[in-house]
Amino acid sequence: MQPLEFRKSAPLTMGVELELQLVHARDCDLTRAASDLLSQVAKRRHPGEIKPEITESMIEVSTGIHSRYAPLRAELQQLRDTLLEVAAQLNVGVAGGGAHPFQHWSERRIMDAPRMKHVSQLYGYLAKQFTVFGQHVHLGCPDGDDALYLLHAVSRYIPHLIALSAASPYYQGVDTAFESSRLNAVFAFPLSGRAPFVQTWDEFNAYFGRLRGAGIVESMKDFYWDIRPKPEFGTIEIRVCDTPLTVERAAALAAYAQALARWLLVERPHRISEDLYLAYTYNRFQACRFGLGGEFVDPVAGTRRGIGEEVLATLEALAAHARELDSEAALGEIEAIVRQGNDARWMRERYADSGSLPDLVWRQVERLRAGR
Amino acid sequence: MSDLFFLPDLASAAAQLPWYALLLLAAALAGEAVQRWLRLPRLLGWIAVGAALGPHALGALDEDALEVLRPLLDFAVGMVLFELGQRVDLSWLRRNPWLLATSVLESGFAFGAMFVVLLAVDAPPLIAAAAAAIGISTAPAVVLTVTRELRAQGQVAERAMLLTALNSAYAFVAVSVLLAWLAREYSGDWRAVLLHPLYLIFGSTVLAALFAAATLALLRLLGRRHDAQFLCVVALVALAVWASATLNLSVALALLAFGAITRIYDRRRLFVSLEFGRLGRILLILLFAITAAKLEWGLVPAGAAAGGVLVAARFAGKALGVFALAPASGLPLRKASLLALALTPMSGLAIVLMHDTARLYPQFGPALAAIVVSAIAMLELLGPLLTHFALTRAGEADEARS
Repeated sequence: MQPLEFRKSAPLTMGVELELQLVHARDCDLTRAASDLLSQVAKRRHPGEIKPEITESMIEVSTGIHSRYAPLRAELQQLRDTLLEVAAQLNVGVAGGGAHPFQHWSERRIMDAPRMKHVSQLYGYLAKQFTVFGQHVHLGCPDGDDALYLLHAVSRYIPHLIALSAASPYYQGVDTAFESSRLNAVFAFPLSGRAPFVQTWDEFNAYFGRLRGAGIVESMKDFYWDIRPKPEFGTIEIRVCDTPLTVERAAALAAYAQALARWLLVERPHRISEDLYLAYTYNRFQACRFGLGGEFVDPVAGTRRGIGEEVLATLEALAAHARELDSEAALGEIEAIVRQGNDARWMRERYADSGSLPDLVWRQVERLRAGR
Repeated sequence: MSDLFFLPDLASAAAQLPWYALLLLAAALAGEAVQRWLRLPRLLGWIAVGAALGPHALGALDEDALEVLRPLLDFAVGMVLFELGQRVDLSWLRRNPWLLATSVLESGFAFGAMFVVLLAVDAPPLIAAAAAAIGISTAPAVVLTVTRELRAQGQVAERAMLLTALNSAYAFVAVSVLLAWLAREYSGDWRAVLLHPLYLIFGSTVLAALFAAATLALLRLLGRRHDAQFLCVVALVALAVWASATLNLSVALALLAFGAITRIYDRRRLFVSLEFGRLGRILLILLFAITAAKLEWGLVPAGAAAGGVLVAARFAGKALGVFALAPASGLPLRKASLLALALTPMSGLAIVLMHDTARLYPQFGPALAAIVVSAIAMLELLGPLLTHFALTRAGEADEARS
């Protein structure tokens, strides 16, 4: 068996994938429209890619590779505009958010592609329940060893990204009490959670080889980790974010991850050890459940404080790096999220206002379009 | 159900109850059989049972038995049109005006094609025009029932419902205008020709707006209580059917507009996605069965050839209209051809309209009646099949439940 080869890529480059919801204009439930949209999108010129996902009511947009925040944001806006133009013509609503607030999973239909059918057969109802919508951020790494260093260092900041992006308080028609209920759907998969504590690409290959030899996995796609290496792109892929309600926020989150990576690579503020993971699941739960109001335990220093405070403190450490990366505006947006509330809070406020989940979905559609 | 005022007086109908029971029982069994063994829409079973039990076949249900149910069927038609109206999204037409253009073209071409065929079989021009106008309409009940049964979602399903609502509205206006015109040939009064359509269109719209306002006010009062909403809407639809019939307005136009306006002004989405559920299902079974029972299947052989040409002309007209603007409106040609097929069913109301026309105007001779009846009969069976085929082929049906 071939070992996985880590293709080198320019460090600190980034790319974004967003899974978006397709909803019916009348009842605002998820609707099967991906094929119809894609057939029309194919006729238009646009940057990046617009692709099918596991169900017909989901569509994925992905950007090219960027080293700066402004062009990444512009590309996401162009992708959104192309998609919304077609969606308007076909009367389909497109919305952000980590989960559809009231869809029923048994009604979902799996896309007609071999890999999708395989996933559906293997995971049964989990595959359909997995109708949740995430943002993936890719960060470029020069080699596999650096990728694993970055993966372990960034994992300490996973609760920040969860709390900042959280946009799935409602699921299957109820208030889950979580700010990101989406991640609970991911945890059900056998290979979810954190990557193993291996620090070199050779060790990683040995680990992967053993799992593959045992018939547990066939490819990297079988891992549903929060952060996973993507050797064919030469990146690590952060997968914990809910799709935000606007693409502008998605760009800001990517820029936050990029600045974080630069700080971690340049200043190396943490010694990488298994200890970093001591409070990992606790912190992640706090972030999913309470968002920015959750509690963050620093397992090495033995301190605890609010996730929001943690983000603000981190922003200070990142300021110089953001200047180098031209992403100060993005970090300003991140600060605004901490001060004014994340998307989950906005959704709860809208629902309290109207008492109608379909109405909430339609406001999400309008918010994606408006960009604010 | 005795407090539902729109039901017929059961005391006088009690003698017929066993026959109605038989009809429902047979329809339920036939529907399941058709679905399970032939994998075809249940409503074909309902139609077959109605045709078999009707006065023109076994005669278990005679004309009187059918007449007693008339108010119930009027309500059922109103319910279907209201629901279809709710699916007309005017903002979609604004964003994609090619859809409106498509509906005008497919209706216009279908009308023209049928008109020419009817003239060729020596129908008087006005009568030919009236019959062709009847044929513009795609059957709302068939499209809704088949779509719902397949749980179809996608461009073919959405556009089929939108175009059906629009062509039904055109058809009813056109038929009313032509009937007014025919009336003038007898009375010689031109004012009626001008005023009648205006009265129909404006009167129906105003009535619809009033009912929509009342519905939304009630919904605000009730909040999102599904049961209460359902009862209110049933009551208001029944009232709207009664009011538009009493005022000699177009029931079809008024109910379509009622549904559409309710949706447009439901800004806070108070409507819990409303479906008429089990009650609606019983009414639909009766509607399909009894419409089929009324059809004079015996006339079919005599008019089959010309009827077939009429059906083909209608299909060609609709297909041409749909194809012409498919690329502009954002529909791949494969889906456009399936959409054209989905629009094939002809409204059961055609039968009622034809009977009315034939009664009022003796030029509507037996030969012409035979042609129109055989066209309706062919489409009665072919229409649902084609809609079913189109939605399944388009990949828009929910496989697990179809």
